Amino acid sequence: MKLRNILLSVMSASLLIFSGCTKKQNPNEKILNLISVTEIKGYDPIQADDLYSGREISKIYEGLLQYHWLKMPYELVPNLAAEMPTISKDGITYTFKLRQGVKFQDDIAFPGGKGREMEASDFVYSIKRMADSRNQSTGWWTLDGKLKGLNEWRDKNSKLAVSNYDEEVEGLKAIDKYTLQFKLAKTFPQFIYTLAMPFAYAVPKEVVAKYGKEFINHPVGTGPYVLPIFDQGKKITYTKNPTFREKFYPSDASPELKHLLGDAGKRLPLVDKVVVYVMKESQPAWLKLNKGEVDYYSVPKDNFASAVKDNKLSDELTAKGFILEIAPQLDVTYTAFNFENKLFHNKKLRQAMYMAYDEGKANTLFYNNTAFPAQSIIPPGIAGINPNYKNPFKGPKLEEAKKLLAEAGYPGGIGLPELKYDIPDSTTSRQMGEYFQKQMEQIGVKIKILSSPWPEFQAKVKKKSVEIYGLAWGADYPDAENFLQLFYGPNKSPGANGSNYDEPGFNKEFEVATQMQDSPERTAKYEKMNKFLAEEVVALFGVHRQAYIMEQGWLRNYHPTDLHHDAVQYLNIDTAKKAELIKKF
Amino acid sequence: MNLYAYIFRRLLYVIPVLLGVCLIIFVLFNLVAPDPAYTLLGKHATLKQIAELHHELGMDKPYFMQYLDTVKTAFTFDFGYSWSSKQNIWEMIKTGAGPSLAITGPLFVFSNIIAISLALLVAFYRGKLIDKFVLILSIAGMSIPSLAVVLFGQYFFAYKLGWFEISGYEFGFPNFIPYVILPIILYIVISFGADTRFYRTVILDEAYQDYVRTARSKGLSELKVMFKHVLKNSMIPILTNIIIQIPSLILGLLFAESFFSIPGLGAMTINAINNSDFPVIKAMTIMSAVGFILFGVLTDVLYTVVDPRMKLN
Repeated sequence: MKLRNILLSVMSASLLIFSGCTKKQNPNEKILNLISVTEIKGYDPIQADDLYSGREISKIYEGLLQYHWLKMPYELVPNLAAEMPTISKDGITYTFKLRQGVKFQDDIAFPGGKGREMEASDFVYSIKRMADSRNQSTGWWTLDGKLKGLNEWRDKNSKLAVSNYDEEVEGLKAIDKYTLQFKLAKTFPQFIYTLAMPFAYAVPKEVVAKYGKEFINHPVGTGPYVLPIFDQGKKITYTKNPTFREKFYPSDASPELKHLLGDAGKRLPLVDKVVVYVMKESQPAWLKLNKGEVDYYSVPKDNFASAVKDNKLSDELTAKGFILEIAPQLDVTYTAFNFENKLFHNKKLRQAMYMAYDEGKANTLFYNNTAFPAQSIIPPGIAGINPNYKNPFKGPKLEEAKKLLAEAGYPGGIGLPELKYDIPDSTTSRQMGEYFQKQMEQIGVKIKILSSPWPEFQAKVKKKSVEIYGLAWGADYPDAENFLQLFYGPNKSPGANGSNYDEPGFNKEFEVATQMQDSPERTAKYEKMNKFLAEEVVALFGVHRQAYIMEQGWLRNYHPTDLHHDAVQYLNIDTAKKAELIKKF
Repeated sequence: MNLYAYIFRRLLYVIPVLLGVCLIIFVLFNLVAPDPAYTLLGKHATLKQIAELHHELGMDKPYFMQYLDTVKTAFTFDFGYSWSSKQNIWEMIKTGAGPSLAITGPLFVFSNIIAISLALLVAFYRGKLIDKFVLILSIAGMSIPSLAVVLFGQYFFAYKLGWFEISGYEFGFPNFIPYVILPIILYIVISFGADTRFYRTVILDEAYQDYVRTARSKGLSELKVMFKHVLKNSMIPILTNIIIQIPSLILGLLFAESFFSIPGLGAMTINAINNSDFPVIKAMTIMSAVGFILFGVLTDVLYTVVDPRMKLN
């Protein structure tokens, strides 16, 4: 009896203690709760080479241009620039007028701790920082060879003890306090997109000087949110920037996004606080979403079958107010050949392999049948792909594949050496590798799978020591050039052309097209080049993936996107709806 | 031998051990691991950029000079900056040590207390129902994969019952407490089987010694026999097992930290390995090596306290 009483007391006390171990949400607070699926490396814009770092940095820093939040296809609009740039007729000189009265966030690095006004010289400084080889910026490729005199400045300063930021660069000038001028080394219409990337955001030199190497943890920009210090934790809390300029929610939208105009004209940002949880594992993140503790998250592969059916959420999730957002991503998955290996110069071999591969089944197995089969390298949604184009070599066409393989000189695979297929070391990659192996086996092509940890896999590709390998490419900006350059000869490894494909005719076409301004002629050229690569089967084009995002019923204005790093400022919380829905969790 | 002289002599061993550790990590990094430049510079790297980065990181120096740099780092503890996150490594260690210890500290204390207590209990009742029950529980605990325990715990206790936070961490006392209770409990469950079995074997080995029979035949109570004689004489292997765990405490729990989003040193080390972040890997390896040496010395000293018959030499 006594023992039972003791046990009951212990259990009751435990329940009381445990019930106090969780934090309750206040639905009336305008707080966004988000998830970052990778570690945040820090807050230096010139190192923002991944989507997730870019998203965090964009809460604090801003650039000259941004993508319109409610326009699809993506459309550039001014951000810190007062208007779109004036471009000279020869496409060489870009002149920007800057917005006046934009203040950097308050910080002790400024006199009196008050943030000063952002000027054209801040962009000159920030872009030189990116070019400074000592800073090892991962964004240098966006400027490499693009601005007159900048490469020379980089080379010269890399030999000096200290880089001279006062030395003028012909292609990068602050004409006056509010006028910034870029002069390109040669025409490159995509240059304008790079100015919307986080690499090109404005940083104040006083702050860089004050914190030195610790600048990475002390972000001070002009953006909508403030983070006093980055403590490398897994919970990052941003608060509204009290000195943020007057910026308003857009009042115009593409037809498919018109339903997001509810907050049109309201001053940004719309929520007071943003909390970002760094969660690399999908299971706890999914549980957190289902508990109402985060506002949106991608439906994990392992939970897909129970959560989504026929592109709709399950009844249970719908009852809790969840909404499913489906959006195509600007990406492509592909199996690349290393063209340094003469074996792959045999076009019929490549075509036979493509015809043997059943992408539809792979889509079901690995993407829950949510992806679009890729016919070529350019994803839908970008000018340069004919939506009706069907690649004649896309499988499964086993008999034709066998015939082509025989024509290639390897009937039934006889005489063809075993091909090495490199994959990154992960369960899904291994499964994909094994699937590829089985598919090729059908026509007698033998595949040996080699898996390596991601850094080693990357190094093997860059060192050209692979034969075949699987990869995905996501758009850096919405221009076909960003995909076609994957097969441009001068971009060979260690550049982005990991296939080391180098065809003089294609290279010439590429050089011409990338110097053309956006026009129907350029689109036609892109389409021609895309078709050429597709039918040459320079790679086995896999799928264009779609994002399946589950969002809370109380979240407003959200739509999945690849390039809007600064989306958070537009998101809103319907507190009344949250108070009502949270009762169901 | 004088205690201080012994400690001094043992500490001198740090020098050859660190030189060896430096050599191993240097060889592994330079000859086995991939070139970090490809990871650090991203997908658009050029040959020129790679060469510039090699120069900036000192990777273009002769191997001997690079080895000397590693040795210098080991002896000065000046770990520099992370190649991947550009953070000061000492700051990273200081920041990560707290969250790691917030889990491993209580886990260390509670798991050992529970395991030793249970081991004493089952040794006391050897062959009885309770012994068999704990033995079965221990085997079950060892057989169930830790991932299954973590997934179940997170789903059932945190999500379904809502007793704990699912994951995350907040710096500062007492903010972190709600986040660490569940991982601590789950890891006690995961580790208790192996620990209890180990301690049970140690205690049973001792419980069948002649002097224990003598003590019993002299009429001493079982409690006195177990605690005063058996436990005391089992302390050498128990102490070794406990102290050897201490350096690992600061290194954190590699898997748990990632799964519970704890910003500790375990998660930091995993990240460093994934990103070929040599300075961080080097720092953590050197810290572990030094930790193991220091706690090895402490174990030896404690042996003489627990068992005065033992001599330091």
